[in-house]
Amino acid sequence: MPEPAPSDPRRTERTAAERVVDHAAIDGLTGGLLPALMAKLTATGLGELEVREGDWRVRLRRPADGGVRDKRGQDRAARAAAGHHAPPPSAVPNLTPVGPGRDGRDGPLGAADRRIVATSPAVGIFQVAADRRAGTRVRAGDRLGVVDMLGVAQQVLAPMDGVVGASLAESGDAVEYGQELVVIEFASAPAPAAEA
Amino acid sequence: MFRKILIANRGEIALRVLRACRELGVEAVVAYSEADRESLPVQLADEAICIGPPDAKRSYLLAPAVISAALVTGCDAVHPGYGFLSEDEGFAEVVAAHDLTFIGPRATVLEKFASKEGTRHLLGDQGLPTIPGSDGMLRDEMHALGEAERIGYPVLIKPSAGGGGKGMRMIRTPRELESSLRVCRSEAKAAFGDDSLYLEKWLDETRHVEVQVAVDRYGHGVHMGERDCSVQRRHQKILEEAPTPALSPDASTELSERAVRAVVAAGYENVGTLEFLVDRSGAAYFIEINCRIQVEHPVTEMLTGIDLVATQIRIAAGEPLGFSQADVTFSGHAIEFRINAEDPSADFRPGAGVVERYHAPGGPGIRFDTHLYAGYEVPPFYDSLLGKLIAWGPDRATAIARGRAALSELVVDGLVTNVAIHQALLANQSFLDGRMTTNLLDRVGSAAFLAAASRS
Repeated sequence: MPEPAPSDPRRTERTAAERVVDHAAIDGLTGGLLPALMAKLTATGLGELEVREGDWRVRLRRPADGGVRDKRGQDRAARAAAGHHAPPPSAVPNLTPVGPGRDGRDGPLGAADRRIVATSPAVGIFQVAADRRAGTRVRAGDRLGVVDMLGVAQQVLAPMDGVVGASLAESGDAVEYGQELVVIEFASAPAPAAEA
Repeated sequence: MFRKILIANRGEIALRVLRACRELGVEAVVAYSEADRESLPVQLADEAICIGPPDAKRSYLLAPAVISAALVTGCDAVHPGYGFLSEDEGFAEVVAAHDLTFIGPRATVLEKFASKEGTRHLLGDQGLPTIPGSDGMLRDEMHALGEAERIGYPVLIKPSAGGGGKGMRMIRTPRELESSLRVCRSEAKAAFGDDSLYLEKWLDETRHVEVQVAVDRYGHGVHMGERDCSVQRRHQKILEEAPTPALSPDASTELSERAVRAVVAAGYENVGTLEFLVDRSGAAYFIEINCRIQVEHPVTEMLTGIDLVATQIRIAAGEPLGFSQADVTFSGHAIEFRINAEDPSADFRPGAGVVERYHAPGGPGIRFDTHLYAGYEVPPFYDSLLGKLIAWGPDRATAIARGRAALSELVVDGLVTNVAIHQALLANQSFLDGRMTTNLLDRVGSAAFLAAASRS
């Protein structure tokens, strides 16, 4: 998640008003900038991208190695363990945030970083796309399935180029908004256009 | 009774409905947006389902998401709480079309009471006094002068279209009326493309008094007395109490009886609130009906001991009311303080943030309906209500004293709250005398209230 670059680095407390502004800025960054950056990072094969916008700085780094994790299960477990203090789950999982005061030396990249999970765009009944079975190469934006919300099909899209991995929900399952549905594993190189 | 209810709301009211469901032995599912994942109702619920992102338009206000959530979790009813979709008759209709029950009046009943103007006519015909006004739109100067004479000065010129004060004038004399008509017509024409005007009696220094009713599907209705919501800031209620200090017990009972008779005759169903403006002479004018549970319902619960949310659910399930007017008894006095995340020293600017330390007040007669807990992060996306502190006492003076003590016990560190304005009110002579009118706080100015309180 992006972090502000405060003018006074000793000052860590944010006022309520500042928090409101922060939330709006983070919404703008995650909603508008991050998807574009992720697509760019995938398409170019670059290792790292950094963009500054106003007081905010976003840095995305391509993960080095990967392994799947069940974010939902982890959230539940973390919440149970930490009582009320568990942090809300990240809207953009499995990308390592690097902000002021943090850089790549903060820790080794985990196994989770080679994968990203397509999430449900709506609350409803999930249907897997028949032609997107495990092992299929997909490009960012490809349809992986649909969630039927009261008769209206909402597309489940691949968040980035890669290979379809495990399905975390079956066709016919009731799913909630944001639920993890299909794992996309990073290809070692960007998927060739001919195969997509 | 229902098998499973989807709670399509958030914050303290989601928790209130969850508790009512448990009392009734009905399963409940809390529908929540991503911003409320860590909220108390979601944590306390047996089952919760995420329906969308923080933006209410894509979650709590998105009817297909709410209904889809109810269907995939196997619910047979939807409780809308207050705000959001609670007064949307279109939503109630779609809910019914999916074989779910909307917990509130049935869609056909909601439709009947959807238009404010239509409801005033409907209930006016059933004997409720409404604000006197002109007989339709003003045709010409002669018509206007005649109607103003009949209504009695001062009168208010109002444009038929739009609002926001454009084309509106308070008129004290026939001469003022003559000179203002033309100006108001051109203002209305310019603002709304429609120069139709009408007259309404000007009500100054009014009090807001509302009557709580409950009517079952079989036409059996009771009232549960009135609430006084005259303490307002920019038309937002901040403190409510019952009984009203504005009316004598006889006058308020008569108002409540007239209200319930009128809504039963007009075919109303479920719990509802009829709002009245009461002028200095004690005359009450009906203004609108709220077809849902209201924020301030605990005030009535404290006086009557009746669970209004459970009553609402039972009526929606088709059960008969099960008690009559004689069973509704009133005891003591209750005051509700709305605790908002607002900064009284900065024009009540709403805030958000993490609750670092939290302590709920207690003691005899104290109830605190809230979704707060230590460590909770108040999201910036929704209204600023953090909780409702209700103080009951055998009389008004005791309720005030208990309220004062409870407000001083409340600790919500990490957030700025409006507790100071409540403390100022409890030190204000107009409030202590029961003389608050809806415009008093704005006329005197909240800052002056706070300053006066800190001097005393």
